[in-house]
Amino acid sequence: MLLVHPVREVLRFLPVLLGLFLAGSAGGGPPLHYLGVLIPIVLGVLRYLTTRFRVADGRVELRRGLLNRHVLSTPRDRVRTVDLTSTLIHRALGLTTVRIGTGTGGSDDGDLDLDGLPVERARELRRELLREATGQDGLGPDDAPVPPAPPAPPLVVFDPSWLRFAPFTGAGLIVAAAVFGGLSQLLNVTDSWERVDVSSVPVPSELAVVGIVLVLLLLVIPISVIGYLITNWGFRLTRSDGSWHVSRGLLTTRETSLDEDRVAGVSLGEGLALRLARGRQLTAIVTGVDRKAPGSAGLVPPAPGRLVLDVAARVMESEAPITGRLRDHGPAARRRRWTRAVVPTSVPPLLALVVSLTGGPWWPLLPTLALLGLACVVAADRASGLGHALVEGYVVARSGSLARRREALAVGDVIGWNLRATWFQRRLGLTTLVATTAGGRGAVTLVDVPVGDAVTLADAALPGLAEQFLATSETGTPQGRPAH
Amino acid sequence: MTDATTGQPTPPTLRDPAHRVSPRARVMWQLGAGVEGLVLVVIAGVLALTMDAVRWWMVLALAVAVVAYVAVVPQWRYLVHRWEATDTAVYTQTGWWARERRIAPMSRIQTVDYAEGAIARLFGLASVTVTTASAAGAISIDGLDRQVARRLVDDLTRQADAVEGDAT
Repeated sequence: MLLVHPVREVLRFLPVLLGLFLAGSAGGGPPLHYLGVLIPIVLGVLRYLTTRFRVADGRVELRRGLLNRHVLSTPRDRVRTVDLTSTLIHRALGLTTVRIGTGTGGSDDGDLDLDGLPVERARELRRELLREATGQDGLGPDDAPVPPAPPAPPLVVFDPSWLRFAPFTGAGLIVAAAVFGGLSQLLNVTDSWERVDVSSVPVPSELAVVGIVLVLLLLVIPISVIGYLITNWGFRLTRSDGSWHVSRGLLTTRETSLDEDRVAGVSLGEGLALRLARGRQLTAIVTGVDRKAPGSAGLVPPAPGRLVLDVAARVMESEAPITGRLRDHGPAARRRRWTRAVVPTSVPPLLALVVSLTGGPWWPLLPTLALLGLACVVAADRASGLGHALVEGYVVARSGSLARRREALAVGDVIGWNLRATWFQRRLGLTTLVATTAGGRGAVTLVDVPVGDAVTLADAALPGLAEQFLATSETGTPQGRPAH
Repeated sequence: MTDATTGQPTPPTLRDPAHRVSPRARVMWQLGAGVEGLVLVVIAGVLALTMDAVRWWMVLALAVAVVAYVAVVPQWRYLVHRWEATDTAVYTQTGWWARERRIAPMSRIQTVDYAEGAIARLFGLASVTVTTASAAGAISIDGLDRQVARRLVDDLTRQADAVEGDAT
């Protein structure tokens, strides 16, 4: 336990230390770099020695600080999520960090971090906290050992064959971009670019450019597979003690626990590429988390669609919200998908056409036309995917193409409606309906719904709320209210 | 109330919220937009004096845009901005080009904020912000008469208190 903070401090200051050593060896002043090593270690030891926590009197308390004493305290029944994160250093020492999410207030102080707990003690603490939070077994003596619950069989376990989905997720592209960015940074730092004699490099032909692009695209595949492996290796989803437990990670392992009562719905990720590979991914819409928190938590990484749909059905105790038919948004909404995708992307080909007609090169036409073609594919997919429903007590919405999501939010967790319409939308009789929920940024958005459908849905989902604001007939008599 | 072509009853729509904000809000918004626009024009003027790339006609175009904005948008905004509080819900309509209606049930209200900005105080106006547990659900009513705003805050606080639960 003692080692985590000092080791981590040294690692965190490693760039500074390196700099100090380099500066020290250049300037010849020895005392500097000893200080540079010593201060982080002393700070780490001090932080460790001055941190205490206890669970007593129905509260979790964390005190820390030598000069500035800082006490964090929260009632146990406010605990909404418990995360166990172990970095490689932690794992080497058999330790973990417990993060207790309480959803109180809007600041970081709402979360309690207990760093450097032995793994077994941390799991025990998590059981204690979640049992309290879900209201089972209210006031047990705090010192009594908690009988370990019989380990529930995992619902889903990682299968190496899932790696085939890695190239079909946007995450792979992001990781690849980060890697390329990092590489070019490295080249910059080591001045490799400047050593390359530009004049000696032959001007690449069009073919070579195409080749380089293809090689880069091919590189994305292994990189995204590795990224998927690092995040999701050893993935397990279990349900016990009234909570969902997700654990995963190749190097840094994470165990996230979600109180079942706080799961307000699910968000099914079915991006275009992932759909073509017959894969899906699932996140939970979580309520009662901090207002700034994302309001969602991963349940299943990109995995075979059938399996993901099963988990979704279990979470909602009904399959209808995730597999049932959706109500179409009508021709105006579909047309809007096309205009929004095609109008902006048809400008570059037109410009390229003008350039080539006025004696410029003709080849810019090709990539710009390809872009337009891609926009058409996306528009068609977006148009066909648009839909909404109110089934089995869930508000369901589907939209998007490359990052299409089908979201289902329990009606009981809807805490307000936003209806937003630009002048264009109003002209077409469409509106964007947002069902807000008490989960951070969590909200379900129904894009471009016909106004009548939006109001009908809002009224049916929360009876009595929107009803009082319904428009009466043009004559203004309350009796003229249309039946619905 | 039936569609002539299909014989179907017309779909339900929401009416406007009952109350407009104070007429003085127009002047307040005009002043605010005017001050911001003036700053922009002055910056553009300084740039035009010091840089060759910025021409005077650009500054003139910007000035025209600012004047048009000040003349049109606050008036438009005033026509759109409306609010209403019933026993069970708060209902507002804001925006100008994009119009947004928000409904929050009284039982979900967490905080009620009353604020008087520097310019708003000149006009005896105030704004009331009602937050729910959602980051997307905060309801803000700008340009209310100070007395009306105070009364609204009192009403909302009393009614939100009367509902049990932690509003999540």
